[in-house]
Amino acid sequence: MTGLPAALRSLLGLFRVQERVIGALVLRELHTRYGRENIGFLWVIGEPILFCAGVAVLWTAIRPAHEHGVPMTAFVITGYVPLTMWRHCMFRAVKAFESNGSLLFHRQVTPLDIILARVVLEVAGSLMAGIIVTLCAMAVNFMEPPKDYGLLYLGLGFQILFCLASALLVAALSEMSDLVEKSVQVFAYLAIPFSGAFTMADWLPAKYRWFLLWSPSVNNLEMIRGGQFGHSVRPHFNIPYDLSATALMILLGLFLTLGIRRHIVIQ
Amino acid sequence: MLRCIDIVKEFHIPRGRRRVLDRVNFQIEASQRLGILGRNGAGKSTLIKIIGGVETPTSGRVERHMSVSWPLAFGGAFQGSLSGLDNLRFICRIYDLDYASTRAFVDDFAELGAQLAEPVKTYSSGMRARLAFALSIVIEFECYLIDEVIMVGDARFLQRCQDQLFGHRADRALIIVSHDMGFIREHCDSGALIHDSRLRMYGSVDEAIDAYRSL
Repeated sequence: MTGLPAALRSLLGLFRVQERVIGALVLRELHTRYGRENIGFLWVIGEPILFCAGVAVLWTAIRPAHEHGVPMTAFVITGYVPLTMWRHCMFRAVKAFESNGSLLFHRQVTPLDIILARVVLEVAGSLMAGIIVTLCAMAVNFMEPPKDYGLLYLGLGFQILFCLASALLVAALSEMSDLVEKSVQVFAYLAIPFSGAFTMADWLPAKYRWFLLWSPSVNNLEMIRGGQFGHSVRPHFNIPYDLSATALMILLGLFLTLGIRRHIVIQ
Repeated sequence: MLRCIDIVKEFHIPRGRRRVLDRVNFQIEASQRLGILGRNGAGKSTLIKIIGGVETPTSGRVERHMSVSWPLAFGGAFQGSLSGLDNLRFICRIYDLDYASTRAFVDDFAELGAQLAEPVKTYSSGMRARLAFALSIVIEFECYLIDEVIMVGDARFLQRCQDQLFGHRADRALIIVSHDMGFIREHCDSGALIHDSRLRMYGSVDEAIDAYRSL
């Protein structure tokens, strides 16, 4: 009878170790990437801000103020922030294990911790950047507050899980195959039309729409936009499909990550 | 107690596989000091990395019933682009150590002075060894894994290592891999030899050394 509490305690202890390790990895990542000079780690937010704000300003300036009845600035921001989050998570996942190989000398650091730390950092950076850009756009009256926070957060939550799934897969596969490593950039570029960042499914003829909705990212962005614009748009998404597709990707990613140690050569 | 059970390690080479370790079995008890001899390339460093959990064996397993250090060797354990202090902070975080007291000990033991604030990649091998030893001693493992090539410090540092590891911590277990017979004879109480990818335990250090000599 006393077995269960003891087992539970040791499980909780293990979670505490992982939490400590991931925290340490996040801080270490900040230091290696941005150093301690000038604004240093603030670049983790600064980079996506520059990107999102730059694109938002450019599109607001050169495109009509409304497209398909949707205000341009809000449309760009709601599209670019999730897209940047996904791209950054994927790019940082490429060969993440090999470049952190020396950390695997410490037994409590696992490949899963390494990739989780990077995803935490990228997601937090993009989210904070998104919040700052949104607040600025709202302050100058180029954007209205979201109409439905619930749907917006649901979409963001799904997008974060999708980023995690992509990072797990890319990290493991790039370690196993050079082809994957080299083609991530071009894949991310070619995938932009299927990200849903620059289109809404409703703009497409109904008979092609199902094709776009195969992409979890499109479902997520539809939710985010549905939350932002409320009844002025007609979002299309399928939550059971999105949930199962993302869960399947995460499971596959975890499965590959648990077996990846055999493929990592440590000096 | 630490036990290696049927450890096999194979590496992929252009013409198939090469078996570096073939069914290695042994165990060591608390405070045992095992010296493992072997020629260059016999698989000594691979074995110590497997014991430390840095590399996974092709088959077989390691049972660790005591806390085991990371393999103290060249490379690994530190991030070269970070300063010694940042590495120290990282290790304090993952092992849940108090930073201030750890730093005080490392400062005192490694005597790296201001260089502790410089990137580890600029350190000489002797300086890296000092940092690695200082950190692993402060963590107080029950079993230390030492690749003999790391014992490169100057006489004063070697003396301090010996005081700490062989003096104050005489109750700890130790696995040293080396091709230096004198070193093994001086510090170990049991001996083993890796040859032709097999490991053989000997009753005494001298027997292991004799077997190594006659290779």
